[in-house]
Amino acid sequence: MTTRQDVEKMIAQVGLGDRAAFSSLYDATSAKLFGVCLRILNDRAEAEDALQDAFVRIWQKAGSYAANGYSPMTWLITLTRNLAIDKLRTRKEGSVDIDEVHDLSDAGPTPEAAAVASSERSQIDGCLDELDADRADAVRGAYLEGHSYNELAARHDVPLNTMRTWLRRSLAKLKECLSR
Amino acid sequence: MTPVDDHDDDVALAGEYALHLLDAQARQAFEDRLKDDPALRRLVADWDQHFVSLADEIVPVAPPPALKARIHKTLFATPAKTTASVWRLLMGAGFAAALGLAVLVVLPPTELPDGFTPAFTAELAAEDQSLVVLASYAPDAGILRIDRQAGSARPGRVLELWLIADGSSVPVSLGVLPDQTATDIALPPALADSIAGGTLAISDEPPGGSTTGAPTGDVLAAGPVVSI
Repeated sequence: MTTRQDVEKMIAQVGLGDRAAFSSLYDATSAKLFGVCLRILNDRAEAEDALQDAFVRIWQKAGSYAANGYSPMTWLITLTRNLAIDKLRTRKEGSVDIDEVHDLSDAGPTPEAAAVASSERSQIDGCLDELDADRADAVRGAYLEGHSYNELAARHDVPLNTMRTWLRRSLAKLKECLSR
Repeated sequence: MTPVDDHDDDVALAGEYALHLLDAQARQAFEDRLKDDPALRRLVADWDQHFVSLADEIVPVAPPPALKARIHKTLFATPAKTTASVWRLLMGAGFAAALGLAVLVVLPPTELPDGFTPAFTAELAAEDQSLVVLASYAPDAGILRIDRQAGSARPGRVLELWLIADGSSVPVSLGVLPDQTATDIALPPALADSIAGGTLAISDEPPGGSTTGAPTGDVLAAGPVVSI
């Protein structure tokens, strides 16, 4: 079992240019991070590319990790997710048509998938429950599927600006709940 | 309800940034602000820390084994530090024996096994990068996969591949590399056991390869075999 401290130590060593530590870090975390890439991109080849980009970035940025105040898995997942979404946006540029939007809508997160979340519910889950269900779905869709405002608006069948307002209000409410 | 002031606005904006909802221009503008605004960085970090719990439901999936080698290659494609010592080793006194063991079987492409899963890899690179060869070895299949990424044999000469087993000073020929850049070599089981911890090297040889059983020309590239 790899603990948070183990991962932290590996990242610190990678920051010093330790290739063996990089190899261990990869072994310990690549499956979770690959899962993240697959979830966002839904395409194996692209997910592999994204994971490669992520580990190149991890190698380059590990030296400045300690200063950023993130817990190790948060840092790794956030970095990986952002790169995967960059790839997703590049792929979709100029190619969003109605059919595709409908396909995306069909491939959306199922209630079952959201329910797998485990028995130990996180604070964010509790706070999302306080939002209207479709607004909570929009936040989840943005985080877990990397949906853009355009896609969220199409999926929820509301105008783009309405979605923007929804989401910003939802974020304000979430913040209020999370700060309690 | 509190009125929407700048702070509330930044809370939502930081959340949008964390969710990756800002368009490229807004994202860049936000990142410019982040550089000199620790409070804004803290807002983003708070969102990241909360949102990451949503990823708990994501099931880990093992990436294909070859990806690790690809990443290593991308990052560490500089000449290995051991190149100089290997060069001395190969050009030194240890060229005497090493006859008879070398068997090279180049498999036609149609016979390449599917699901090649390497456990060892070596980057053979000339100091000036004029020749770069990536080797990966799958013990299960007994296959050494060669990918020549830069450089080629000198005119009228060939490239010959050598293995120096860990703790040995005697290079063993793995044969002459064919002209194509990608090749699979079936390693005899006797050699397969020596590859872990060993060193692979490429020398410049006359057509047909070295006739002495040891490198006769320049050692062009070398690199240690590392486990993936």
